[in-house]
Amino acid sequence: MDKFKEIIRQYPFLGFIIAFIILMLVPSVFFTDLYQSHLASLICINIIVAAGLNIVKGFCGQVTVGHVGIYAVGSYTAGCMFLYLGSGLWLTLPAAILIAGLFGVAFAIPSFRLEGPYLALATLGGGEAIRLFIENGDFFMSTYGISNIPQPIIFGVPFDTPDKYYYIAMPVMLIAVYFSFSVLRSSVGRAFMAVREDPISAAASGINVKKHKMLAFVLSAMFAGGAGAVYAHLPPGYIHPNNYTVIEMVTFLAMVVFGGLGHIWGGIIGAIIITIVYDLTRPLYEYQLFIFGLTIVLTILFMPKGIGGFIDKYFIDRRFKTKTGAATK
Amino acid sequence: MLLKTKKLMKAFGGLKAINKVDFELPANEIRGIIGPNGSGKSTFFNLVSGVYEPDPGSYIEFDGKDITNEPPHKVGELGLARTFQLLRLYQDMSVINNVMSGYHTLVPYSFIDAVTGRKKIWDQEKVIKEEMMELLSFVGLADYAELNASELSGGQRRLLVLARAIAGKPKLLMLDEPAAGLSPVNVDNLMKILMRLKEKYGLTLIIIEHILKVVMDTCSKVTVLDHGEKIAEGTPSQIKDDNAVIEAYLGKKMDDEEMRKALDV
Repeated sequence: MDKFKEIIRQYPFLGFIIAFIILMLVPSVFFTDLYQSHLASLICINIIVAAGLNIVKGFCGQVTVGHVGIYAVGSYTAGCMFLYLGSGLWLTLPAAILIAGLFGVAFAIPSFRLEGPYLALATLGGGEAIRLFIENGDFFMSTYGISNIPQPIIFGVPFDTPDKYYYIAMPVMLIAVYFSFSVLRSSVGRAFMAVREDPISAAASGINVKKHKMLAFVLSAMFAGGAGAVYAHLPPGYIHPNNYTVIEMVTFLAMVVFGGLGHIWGGIIGAIIITIVYDLTRPLYEYQLFIFGLTIVLTILFMPKGIGGFIDKYFIDRRFKTKTGAATK
Repeated sequence: MLLKTKKLMKAFGGLKAINKVDFELPANEIRGIIGPNGSGKSTFFNLVSGVYEPDPGSYIEFDGKDITNEPPHKVGELGLARTFQLLRLYQDMSVINNVMSGYHTLVPYSFIDAVTGRKKIWDQEKVIKEEMMELLSFVGLADYAELNASELSGGQRRLLVLARAIAGKPKLLMLDEPAAGLSPVNVDNLMKILMRLKEKYGLTLIIIEHILKVVMDTCSKVTVLDHGEKIAEGTPSQIKDDNAVIEAYLGKKMDDEEMRKALDV
């Protein structure tokens, strides 16, 4: 088992191929109806957003509440490219990632001077501005939304039903998670954490604080943009400004906080759990914002590092005990 | 000269925190900086390391390069490491990650390599980690490598800050009160480790310290600041007998016996 772990650690790509094969088999074994496939695709999309949000919020420590705006940029890049150019997912996905990255630059600039709640306020304004701009723009079909965004066709097979679309969303999610793992496990991830913990000290160690804040914002914006594009093409291929409100933002934040801020698995665990809970509480629509707000508050009060923190603590305690024979506090 | 400042100036409003300080430091020296509270010692560090921007007319040179208006990370890249009076540890990171982030400028792979996650990165990360573990066991923290920095005791934190500063293999290390709040035994221990590190890595040191025993025992030369001005410079024994220094600390001239008592040497 240890040898297996060592191999995975050295060739992380192998681990993702194994995960890919397992996730390919999941629908045929567990899923009984189309709705479950739809939910699985949604989970994949949310994992992409949450993994990106974890980079900027969990690792780099920049409180951003405007991510849903960037997610909307991704979706509407895809939607408008279909509407005016007739492009499919293979063209809209890279374009959405690119344009979302540019918006990431814009969101990073306030973070050079603002921090904490002030930065949250600035980014909240940015995100809402994007949504309102879309809602009031005829170019974006305003409140009609963009419909009939097509699903991709590979080798003549249309991926136009939820059970088939899962096989599009899942690999995209795996690639995104692979990139997030690579970045966060490298020196760049460490630099992000150093910037979060103490920017002055980080600068004294030769870490360019502005550059790393910018990197974190752009990377996580690219994740959100990619997720937005995949969401736009999700059957039935309909996007509407109401899908990008503060409620969605709170849900994304709840995922990252509940899963574990600054924990490499945090966003993924949180995205899976919160997406399912979100779906189960759909009948209680008017209480959803309350539920997720409460989740964030309770998580921060009673387990500040979320589920990921628990996992970490367990393993570190065990290793420390075997090494020194003593328990930690 | 490894570090050279000319007419270094910094005013906060009307207060001249540092006033026309000329400072020269050859390589391989251990220099002490002393002075009463508020005399500008920490400001001097902040100016040299780029945290504060010096006033126009100042000039700072490190290792032959003009670093007067360079941002702090550029200065860090050039090989000037420092510690802080309030430590500024990365509280919520493991001890090993604290030290490894100090190695940041020397990491051999690029950002693109990191994103794509190629195998060579994990090999290089392994080498870095081994090297940093060696450094940790040198300062005696190897057993605590996986713990959060916030779980360490006060003395261990001071050692960790030292290890983090040295991780980047600096040419010049500036220590801001490295022994503040330590018991006499721990002070001796810290100084022993510091001397061994200096020999191992060929460091040049500047030490701000209020425990005069440390300054007198370890420093080959001492610079004294008072009200932002350099009032004396010389070997510890010269400084001990300098009238200006005694006045700055004690206010009036005393005879030898009394002064020895007051300085506790």
